[in-house]
Amino acid sequence: MSTHLDHDQQHRTNESVALAPQHLGPAAQGASSLTATDVSCWFGSRQVLERCSLSMEPGKVTALIGPSGCGKSTFLRTLNRMHEVVPGAKIAGTVELDGQDIYGEDLGVTEVRMAIGMVFQKPNPFPSMSIRDNVLAGLKLSGKSAGDKDTVVEESLRRAGLWNEVKDRLHDGGMSLSGGQQQRLCIARSLAVHPRVLLMDEPCSALDPISTRVVEETVIELAHQITIVIVTHNMQQAQRVSSQCAFFLVEEQKQPGRIVEAGDTATLFTNPKDQRTLDYVTGRFG
Amino acid sequence: MAVGDAVAVAARNVDPMSAISPQVPIRPSDRPSRGDRIFRGFTVGAAMLALVTVVVAILFLANEARPALSSTGLKNFFTSTIWNGFIGQFGILGVMVGTMIIATIAMIVAVPAALSMALFINEYAPRKVGRLLTSVVDLLAALPSLIFGMWGRDAFQQKLVPVARWLSDHLYAIPFFRLSAEDVVLVRSSFVVGVIVGIMVIPIITSISRDVMAQAPRDVCEAALGLGGTRWGMIRTVILPFGRSGIIGGILLAFGRALGETIAVALIIQLTFDINWHVLEAGGSSVAGLIAVRFGEATPLERSGLIAAGFALLVLTFTVNLIARRIVKRGQIK
Amino acid sequence: MTLLDDAPVADGAGDAATGMPEQPKRKVRGLTRPEWAEYAIALVAGISLALLLRTLLDWDDVMGSAIIAGIAFIGVHYLIVRERTSPDVALDKVVTTMMWTVGAVIVAMLLWMLSYVAVRGMKLLNWTFLTSDLSTTGSLEEGGGALHAIIGTAEQVAIATIVVVPVAVLTAVYLHELKGRLAGLIRFVVDSLSGVPSIVAGLLIFTVWPGYAGIKASAALAILTLPIVTRASEEILRTVPDSLREASLALGAPQWKVVLRVVLPTARTGLATATILGVARMAGETAPALYTAFGSASVNLNPLNGAQSSLPLFVWDLIRVPDQRQNDRAWAGALVLVVIVLVLFATARWLSARADKKLGRR
Repeated sequence: MSTHLDHDQQHRTNESVALAPQHLGPAAQGASSLTATDVSCWFGSRQVLERCSLSMEPGKVTALIGPSGCGKSTFLRTLNRMHEVVPGAKIAGTVELDGQDIYGEDLGVTEVRMAIGMVFQKPNPFPSMSIRDNVLAGLKLSGKSAGDKDTVVEESLRRAGLWNEVKDRLHDGGMSLSGGQQQRLCIARSLAVHPRVLLMDEPCSALDPISTRVVEETVIELAHQITIVIVTHNMQQAQRVSSQCAFFLVEEQKQPGRIVEAGDTATLFTNPKDQRTLDYVTGRFG
Repeated sequence: MAVGDAVAVAARNVDPMSAISPQVPIRPSDRPSRGDRIFRGFTVGAAMLALVTVVVAILFLANEARPALSSTGLKNFFTSTIWNGFIGQFGILGVMVGTMIIATIAMIVAVPAALSMALFINEYAPRKVGRLLTSVVDLLAALPSLIFGMWGRDAFQQKLVPVARWLSDHLYAIPFFRLSAEDVVLVRSSFVVGVIVGIMVIPIITSISRDVMAQAPRDVCEAALGLGGTRWGMIRTVILPFGRSGIIGGILLAFGRALGETIAVALIIQLTFDINWHVLEAGGSSVAGLIAVRFGEATPLERSGLIAAGFALLVLTFTVNLIARRIVKRGQIK
Repeated sequence: MTLLDDAPVADGAGDAATGMPEQPKRKVRGLTRPEWAEYAIALVAGISLALLLRTLLDWDDVMGSAIIAGIAFIGVHYLIVRERTSPDVALDKVVTTMMWTVGAVIVAMLLWMLSYVAVRGMKLLNWTFLTSDLSTTGSLEEGGGALHAIIGTAEQVAIATIVVVPVAVLTAVYLHELKGRLAGLIRFVVDSLSGVPSIVAGLLIFTVWPGYAGIKASAALAILTLPIVTRASEEILRTVPDSLREASLALGAPQWKVVLRVVLPTARTGLATATILGVARMAGETAPALYTAFGSASVNLNPLNGAQSSLPLFVWDLIRVPDQRQNDRAWAGALVLVVIVLVLFATARWLSARADKKLGRR
């Protein structure tokens, strides 16, 4: 039964490739642009985001900053359709990956998530799998054919900057690693399916400063290859890793969050147009 | 180049006050893949199949009870204590009350013991003792009721005779503890069975109340201790009020289980059909025990009567159980 | 609870990591010197009061004296603690003593029961008992055994397990992972099923599917354990962190693969533990088999046809006859049953302890 369904999945993937060859086919590897237009979000009847528009440039790191509860994580989750996993979650607006609407009819949700990977706040390797299996998990779970598995494992772990630390213990459990290593394992797991965009939701908030530094270096390294969108609370981190930046804010209690200002990171931090941005980046509130 | 970048990422945020039509929230639709649909069908099928089978079985049971009910009459069935297969009279009042008596005695034994165990393991016991007791309680739950019944019959009930004697000597103010004669037998009684069933249901109350009490907000508990309160003070002011509905639900669940207990009861009790309020004396009754002992050699009509009694018991335990689950659930949401 | 549990572990790990010589640990939960004195005084007072009453009133009841001594101990202890500190603290001490007592009594009961079964059962438990049936052995002859019952239990429990576990796990998946429209109804029925008395489960099968066969006992056992295993499985699925589900979905997995490849493998130890405990429960159930498998004296290998014995049935039939040798056989059968349950229980414990260690939950 399982193999049969694997084929089914395979088939679906190929179908959509036929529909949009220039966008999601395996040939079109590398970085893509991601453009959100007028994205609004609701949980039940409560609106949490209001008409956020942002374009995320290919091969660049875009940081989303702002105080807690301003909707930046929600915005991030709309970018690969993880928002709708929460029951009662609703959305309006469009998100385009290289010009194709990811909420459109042509794309299945699984294909979207394969093309746009995600790394979570807390490292979450699969405890039932070894390090190697964790890296390959995406391929197995999405039914993509892997080619040479050992190559995929090595390449992904190298790109995540973890290869040298784990190459001798690939069959150990994923939970045997330290927190920082686990997070890089999760990055490797996302990279193994060759996404063209990688979303990171405060990837360092559960890590110590040294691990944080290593993950940041990994992010900067990866930016040459794929598009990265990173949510962070840490403004030094935003300055260190990103070249573009968007500032989210909830102006009053119970109001939805909005993008106040977006642009070049250096400009945003040194010479913002909006007073509220200036207040935030200089630490006057938030 | 730099200019291009800035333009590209410039916020295209629209002023909400301007006259654009309001956005309509949609729930993004995704047609589940064929694999997901098959999987979903499979799980629903499995769940429903089991349920439908059981519901059908219950309908069959109700149907089989009809001959006895029509020969007895519905009113007599509930209000008579006469159980006689030859004249086709099946009154379950006596056995039902007997079942209740046993279950009530079981609760009187189990509730204090189980709650102290729960509090002891959660709050008082040193780590190792707590672990040991958790295992002991779980093992009590895992041991078959047959074993409890055999041990109760051959070993434990003799030790309860002095207790029963003492109760009848000193607490005869309570009518249940009076004896009908000086020389009555003090084994094979509702009291003995009740105590043994009580020991059997301790794990049910302990595990459920432990779960709810462990959810009591730790910071409030620590605040109570931090003010110089004793552990018992903390339990009384924080943990017990917090866990109340879970504890009550757990007690009801155990009560339902005690109502339905079969084998231990059937092994020990001397079966009667009348209501025997002298709980310390030999002789008592239980629906489940009655079925276990009589069904084998019963005539078809009496079998129908036993099935009717079983159905009545089923309805009773269903009700108790559902109320209990509701209460437990309410406690957990809080 | 968690806080207190974790503290000592963390200390030990810290010492090992730094490579320093291990520091002596301060005891934080022990008794202070006055507390020791209070306990000692109360104990002496309690015992002497009991002895005094014993000699004055000429009692010879040991149990009674022990109970008097216990009550006196608690009373005296309360009074002297209240004198030194406060009524609240004294009450706390009384409660502590009572809880220790209840714990000790329950442990003692369990040990008594287990050792009683062991002593009574050892009398006849030998190789012959495990390898012969009762087809040619009556109450007057020696020998004979429970082979037919052991075979019956094995077959009935195996069939019931094969049916119950997949259905229960799939139902739990429906309730917790898919959260489908019927979830409310299904949960309601599972809840009410968990209240079915064991004898009624047997009656249900008897009315729907009359006649005697091992597989009918399996069906009754399945009705009885289905709600238990379903509930346990749902609890276990609840312990699988949502972050793993999200991680899988974010990799582009369809839901069925998330469940089959990530959620269930993560939960597998828990599910195995629940299954083992379900098996132990089924092995010990008498009532559902009474009028479905019925019991017999000889080996019946075919679970599909004809009366079949099982260990509980074997014991139930032989313990109720007024005959010493048959009773002894029943006790030997009970011992076999208890050993089976203990082995299964220990296995379940070991599995979950190992899993906790592996996931660093300790």
